[in-house]
Amino acid sequence: MTDSQPQASPGQPGQPAQPGTPLAALLGQVARGDHAAFGALYDQVAGQVFGLVRAVLRDPAQAEEVSQEVLLDVWRNAARFDPSRGTAMAWLMTLAHRRAVDRVRAQQAAVAREQRVARPDISYDSVAEAVEARLDAERVRRCLGSLTDLQRESITLAYYQGRTYREVAALLRVPVGTVKTRMRDGLIRLRDCLGVD
Amino acid sequence: MGALWFHRADPHTLAGAYALDALGGADRARFERHLSACPSCSQETRGLRETAARLAASTAARAPDGLRDKVLAAAARTRQHPPRVAELKSAWPGRRWGMAIACGVLAVALAFGGIAFSTRHQLSQEQARSRQIAAVLNAPDATMLTADASPRGTATVVMSHRARALVFTAARLPALPSSERYELWLVGTTGSRSAGMLPLPRAGMTAPVIVSGVRAGDKVALTVEPAAGAAEPTMPMVIMLPLPS
Repeated sequence: MTDSQPQASPGQPGQPAQPGTPLAALLGQVARGDHAAFGALYDQVAGQVFGLVRAVLRDPAQAEEVSQEVLLDVWRNAARFDPSRGTAMAWLMTLAHRRAVDRVRAQQAAVAREQRVARPDISYDSVAEAVEARLDAERVRRCLGSLTDLQRESITLAYYQGRTYREVAALLRVPVGTVKTRMRDGLIRLRDCLGVD
Repeated sequence: MGALWFHRADPHTLAGAYALDALGGADRARFERHLSACPSCSQETRGLRETAARLAASTAARAPDGLRDKVLAAAARTRQHPPRVAELKSAWPGRRWGMAIACGVLAVALAFGGIAFSTRHQLSQEQARSRQIAAVLNAPDATMLTADASPRGTATVVMSHRARALVFTAARLPALPSSERYELWLVGTTGSRSAGMLPLPRAGMTAPVIVSGVRAGDKVALTVEPAAGAAEPTMPMVIMLPLPS
């Protein structure tokens, strides 16, 4: 394992990682303590991490704090990414989503839940300028549109608002078993629509 | 296996909720335990996780300006975790290596498990047990298996087909209330046989347990049971290891 000496400075001269380096390769370099690669990784994923965390938490200040924790977690745990278990992006976004959701639930446990309108509110307008990102977002939106209402609402309430399936069932006034099933068959339909292998 | 805690419901139906992080803490922990013993569920869950991650494309936003510097500065003063080396999949290290590690692990376990013997009889029983353990460790066909099931602990098994016996020890198992104990099982094609209760851990290490009568195709499993033991293993299993053939 590479040592990360405290005096190692980020963005030190070394050869900067290419902008288009695949994420998995960057993670491999990061795992060996490469700060320049970590900077390149940041540039590739920070927008998605921050956007997702903010969608779940709503509060931009908290979202920034949690995003920082997530990205630092990536630095710390890069060596534990196992490509045989999925893509680098999924590993990273799973980490980000879980952190955000855990933060929401910790707050819920401490404070009585504030009333929110039970309507998925996805901020499409804040999508990054990058054409590719916009195309991805467009595809996601189109595929979400191909789901039944119940599938779509179950998935968006859970993913973008961090609700548990029991909360989703209460919000949508349907049995818990139905929500479980809709989350699964909805995701399967999304998977096929998005062409995830 | 592992389906009992879901009561009637097919555990597969939770894969979607899990991939969306829509399971509460307890449900999530249970599902993960189930996943570790259900290859087809892990396969499906993987695909659904990939899918869920794609949903993040539609919320991408510009990260706050100062964040990059903060993150990179924090990384510069943060030590990285080493890779995980002992996973279930690649759990059979080379013999020589393995035995050296195993002997080390077991020596530590024996040291911690050392009991204050009150009678000569107990002492001679303990000596007999140590001899049996040594016989397995020194058997020419001894092989070692290590499973890192963190955070549920680590298990080390040294097994000899010739002796039809194995030595089992565990470390860092979560503490149990006094009404419960860990029980060891041999799970074969025709059912499960209890291999006894695990001794209480000392300093996080469990003293080695010798298990004889191991048959081809057996798996070793660990469950949480009432302190007096159970007739059948209670799901979900804490750790389950296939033995080498």
